[in-house]
This record gives sequence, C-alpha cells and structure tokens, in this order.
Amino acid sequence: MRYSNFKHLILITTLLFTGYAVAEEDKYSPVREKLETCFACHGQNGASSMGAFPILAGQEFYYMYVQLKDMKKGLRESAVMGPIAASLEKSEMKLMAEFFSKQAWPETNYTVEAEQATAGKRVVGAGQCVACHLGDLRGNSRVPRLANQHPDYLLATMLDFKNGVRKNSPAVATLLKTFSEQELKDVSDYLSSYSE
Amino acid sequence: MLKQKEGGRATFVKVGLASLMMAIGSSAFADEEIERGTLFGDMQTVTQDMLDKSAGDSNNFLHTNGNYEQTRFYPAEQINTDNVHNLEKAWTFKMDVVDSLETSPIVVNGTMYVTSSFNHVYALDAKTGKAKWHYQHEMGPITTYCCGPNNRGVAAYEDMLFMGTLDAKLVALDAKTGKKVWETEIADPELGYSETMAPTIVNGKVLIGTNGGEYGIRGFVKAFDAKTGKLLWTFNSIPENSVGVWAENDATGLYMHRDIKAEKAALKKLGDPYKTLGGGVWQNMAIDRDSNRAYFVVGNPSPDLYGAIRPGDNLYTNSLVSVDLETGEKICHFQYIAHDVWDLDAVSPPILVPVTNDDGQTVKGVLHGGKTGYVYVHDAGDCSLIRHSEPMVMQRDRWVLPTKEGASMLPGANGGVEWSPMATDPGQGLAFAINLHQPMTYHVEETPYPDGKLWLGGAFKVIPTEEQWGNVTAVDYNTGKIKWKVKTQHPMIGGILATGGGLVFTGEGNGLFKAYNSSTGELMWQDQTNAGVNAPPSSYNVAGDQFIVVGSGGNAQLDYKRGNEIIAYKLAK
Repeated sequence: MRYSNFKHLILITTLLFTGYAVAEEDKYSPVREKLETCFACHGQNGASSMGAFPILAGQEFYYMYVQLKDMKKGLRESAVMGPIAASLEKSEMKLMAEFFSKQAWPETNYTVEAEQATAGKRVVGAGQCVACHLGDLRGNSRVPRLANQHPDYLLATMLDFKNGVRKNSPAVATLLKTFSEQELKDVSDYLSSYSE
Repeated sequence: MLKQKEGGRATFVKVGLASLMMAIGSSAFADEEIERGTLFGDMQTVTQDMLDKSAGDSNNFLHTNGNYEQTRFYPAEQINTDNVHNLEKAWTFKMDVVDSLETSPIVVNGTMYVTSSFNHVYALDAKTGKAKWHYQHEMGPITTYCCGPNNRGVAAYEDMLFMGTLDAKLVALDAKTGKKVWETEIADPELGYSETMAPTIVNGKVLIGTNGGEYGIRGFVKAFDAKTGKLLWTFNSIPENSVGVWAENDATGLYMHRDIKAEKAALKKLGDPYKTLGGGVWQNMAIDRDSNRAYFVVGNPSPDLYGAIRPGDNLYTNSLVSVDLETGEKICHFQYIAHDVWDLDAVSPPILVPVTNDDGQTVKGVLHGGKTGYVYVHDAGDCSLIRHSEPMVMQRDRWVLPTKEGASMLPGANGGVEWSPMATDPGQGLAFAINLHQPMTYHVEETPYPDGKLWLGGAFKVIPTEEQWGNVTAVDYNTGKIKWKVKTQHPMIGGILATGGGLVFTGEGNGLFKAYNSSTGELMWQDQTNAGVNAPPSSYNVAGDQFIVVGSGGNAQLDYKRGNEIIAYKLAK
C-alpha cells in the first residue's frame, strides 16, 4: 500500500470513528445533564467506587429501566432516588439505562475468606440463585448482575427485601426472608468477590 | 375404529394389537421401516412422509423425541449390549456459548442441527462434527425466563428449520444456509412469555407452546403456517371458566388438603383468575396422525405457591390435554393435580404407545412422567387415567400445605420427573424415566400480580443439610410395576434414549454419560465428559455407522457444571 493511500485510510477510519462517537454522544444528549447527576454518587459513567452506591456501568439495561419505573411508582422506595425517578419520562429512563448498560463493568477486587465463601455458596445453592442470575451470576435482561457488585450495597438491598422495604420483586423478598442476616452477609461477600 | 359411547366420550374398543402397532410404531413396524428407511437417505428435504415414518427410520433422527409418538426409541441395533463396551468418541463439536445445554440433536440425511443457550443454531456434518453454518438469533433487550437461557432444539420441515426464542419469537431458517426466512412474535416477553421448547411440525403447521408459569401468563399452544409464519389457531391452555369440579384428591387418590369453602368465597369475591393463571406448555406434543390429534401437558398455575388468589381447580394446569390439529379445539383433558400449590406441573412430553387397559384390551395409550414421580397411563381416546405406576421416588409428606416458615416435602418442586423426556421400548412394554430426589421447603406469601415479574407467591428452598440423589427407572406401563431402578449420584435432569440394541442412554450432572441394559438396568458403558450431561441423547446412522450423540453443557436449574460440547460416539473399528 502506498503511503498516500495509507494516509487516506487513516483519515477515513478516523472520520468514521469520530462520526460514530458523535452519533453516540448525540443519542444520549437529551439525558446528558441527568447522567451527570447520576455520576455524582454512582461514579463516572456509573463505575461507582463507593460501597453504598451500586455499580451501574455494565448492569443489565432492562433491569435498570424497570428499577427506575418502580422507583417512580414507589414500589422501590428510596429517599434519594425516588424524587429523581419521579422527574423522569419513560424515554429518558430507557436512554439512561441503555447508556449505563453499554459501559464496562469496573474492576472491584473484593476478596473473601474461604469459610465465608463456602457459607455464601451454600446460600446461592439453597436459593437456586443461578436459575435466574445465571451460572456466572451476571444476570440477563430483567435479572441484575450480582457478581462483583459492592458488598455493602448487596447486603443493604437484600436486607431491604427481607425487611419489606423493597417491594418490587416479591419472589426475591420471600426467598430472602428465609435467610438470616448472617447468611445474607456471607452471600454478599461471596458475590462481590465472585470469580469464575 | 372410534366408537362413540353414551355420554359422548370416545374410546377405542376392540382394537387389534397388530393394527395399533402398525399405527404407532411397534418393533414389527420398525423392522419393516428400517429397510425402507435406507431409501429415505437420499432425500434432500424433510417430507411429511419422512416425518410420519420416523419411528422406523434408522438413518435419521427427525423429531425432538424421535418420532411423532415421542417414544425416543431408536430402532437401530448396531450398537447393542454385546458391543457397547467398544463405544468411543467419534467427534466433539464446541459451540460458542458455554451455558446450560438442553438441546435435542436432530439429524437429517447426514446433517445434524443443534442449538445452544441464547438461541444459537448449528448445522454440523453428522459424520465428522464439522460445522456447515452457524446462526445466532438477534435477541431483543427484553427476555423473561426462569431456569436458564435454554433452548431444546429445532424442528425440520421441507428445506426449513424452526426455532422458538427466549424473547418469544418464532424463527424460520433455510436449512441449507442458516439464513433467516421469516420471524414472527409469538407473545410479549415483557408479560413473562418466552420460548425454550423445540417446535413440533405437522402438515405444514408449526406448533409451539410457551414458558411463563412463574410470571402470570395465560398459557397456550399456537399453530403457525410453516411457509409464512401466519398464525393459524390458538388453544388457550387456561379456559375462561377455569373452576373445574373442586377435586379434593390428586390422580393417585391422595387428599390435597384444599380449603374449598374458602376458595368458593374467594371465587365469588375475585372472579375467575384465568387471565394470569399461568399454564405454560413448554415441551413437545405427541401427534396421532390417525386421529389428527395432538397430546400435550400443561404446566403449573401462577402464582406457584399462593393459591388463595386463584380459586378453583385452575383448569387446565397440571393436565394432559388433547386437541384437534386442524382447529386447536379441545377434545379431552385429565388433570393430575387440581389447584397445585407446589409447582409440580406436568411437563415431561407425553408418549403414545399401545397399552393394556384394565379389561385386558390393548388400546391406544398416552404415558406421562410426572413431577410427582409417578408414570401415568391414559386411554388416548378420552384422556382418562387407566393406571399410575408405583412411585419412582420417595414420597414424604406429599401435599403438606406450604407455610410462611416453610413446609418440607418430597418430591421437591423439580420433581420426580422434570422436563426430561422419557423413552419407551414398546417391545418390552417399558417406560424409562430419570428422576430427582431433592427435598425442598415450600414457603407461601400473599402476593398480588406483579405485572410480568417473577410471581411465585412464596419461595422454594433446597434443604442443604439433606442428601440429594437421582435415579433411572424402568416402569412396566401395562402393570404399573417398577422393573428396575438404578440410583445416581446427583438428581437427574436431561432425558433418555432407548435403542433397538437393548440399551438406554442417559447422562448425569457429574459429566458421566452412561448406557444401561434396558431389560435389567445393568450398567454397560460410561464416558466421563467435561460438563454436566443434561440433554436428551439422539441416535442416527451415517455411511453404515450408528452414532449416539448428546450435549455436555450442564444445567442452570440444578447448577451442574457448564460446558459447550456436542459429543458423538460410535463403535471402535
């Protein structure tokens, strides 16, 4: 290939990719300002590094969309998220959920003691969790990824299910009521440190 | 042959054994067809004639369960009890997706079609395992399914293949190229509908049911035109009047502890619950070409455990149903468990075989392996129950009512016999079933309909401190007696195949794939694979060699080790 042709190829490729990036940027521009609000707690592009705020980057699109709808309806109560979700239109929820779902899941590097991992694994088996969250515990569509999520958030949300605070997935709530707080702690730590 | 009895119930009377066997695939019939089967081998497309004669075709494996009768009896006997110890891997094909694998390979004139989780389809050279083409369904963003992203296979007709998808579509492919010909929506996945079963095809109609018994769907079987994808008819597996007869006992006569007074009061207050009552049909139907009828079983009511919100028998959940193939109109039904609150739905595919009734007559019969752990034997004419077998699994506190704290019961919600198809050997009068021994606690909680989300009305929990295992059982369906039973290390799920070589083949969650003597249960051969063998085996012949093929990819529901292999075996030279 001659050098001039190579230059043209580079130029075309650059334009193509730049165009693609602009198109993607444009796609989310209606919610860009709202996404910036999300980043304040959930981290840049949803890659939360604070344990109380779930990682959204790489989470399942349909799951996040349903959660926003449920928060707006009050099925999933949250003093912070409730008012934010209430202000969103469905089209905005879809765009925001799509944006986060397309980001890469961040490295978390949680670890767990062997004994606790065994206890957590036992909970996963008894609850048949992989039947819905799948074998790698990464979820699909309306079922969320649990693997490598922050343990603080996992425990808090499971306790919310157990204690009837979170009402938007009744089957999960009933199941989690059958486990002790210690078992939920074990499984939170196990899930956060999960590796295949 | 059909005679109307008083009361309008049709039943077969004085039917000669020979003619019945000719009609539904006896060994004598099979012998004749083996010869003719070789003539089919040059056909380039799947004709209706080939599909009709599949019970005796020892070259191909044209239906998910072998033939329209779903006997899973493959007539070839090249691999038999004398030489099965020489069985060895002929080839292994690795699919792209490493996840739960439940596919039933079908084989058409030397080409094999298999599927993986998330709706990939592969065409393979059945002799070498070399891929001819690969199709990946473009999945929509909304899927709603429990128990793994499974797919159980495709159906073949003329030069096309048909597959149901997790996002509740029906897809038609060109069998030679894997290119999509048409696609149509079967139902709305946002409301809990999804597809994992292989379709069944007959006379240009693609028949398919639906998953969704855990999501408050209204179940159905639909028939689509194979050429165009146009909907031809729908049978709603939940009628608008789902109340029934307020049955107090199950099909075995055991009292189910229903509070019928409370249910009647609830019915008055809430009305008929038919719109969200579940009743998925998620395994293949048997087809009787003589009477032009389909036989299928209907799954559990929604929500699974909380029955107070759905008063009545919840027809036709947990039932055998027969419909007219032209119209989809119901002909007869038989309900095993009225108002089920244990998720012990009917799902293992029904089988058409000649059976002996209580009067000693041979009639056209239907077999079903229940999650209860019983094999049920019906008269195909009116769906009535002739007998049930001895229990194949331990029964402990069956029909104890679920409680908030959890009530322990055996069988657990996975069975007994799960979705796993049974096999039969009509010559021996045996049905072969694989079972689970998996005690569970059943928890109930009042739960209103959650708009397409998982709706169990409680929870099932495996009891970690209790031992689990499985078994392979042979049942004499003319007497109901168990002929032999073999215990396995883990609960069994996947399916089984019987052959003319006096063998049954089935796999286990620990990766072992085994052959047993079908008369005695003696273990004859086994192979250790790399993942759980939890898919139904098939068999076929290419260039004079009989092959046994099975998927080794584990199972999401029971969390058996995942993999991605299709493995074909033949005798060592």
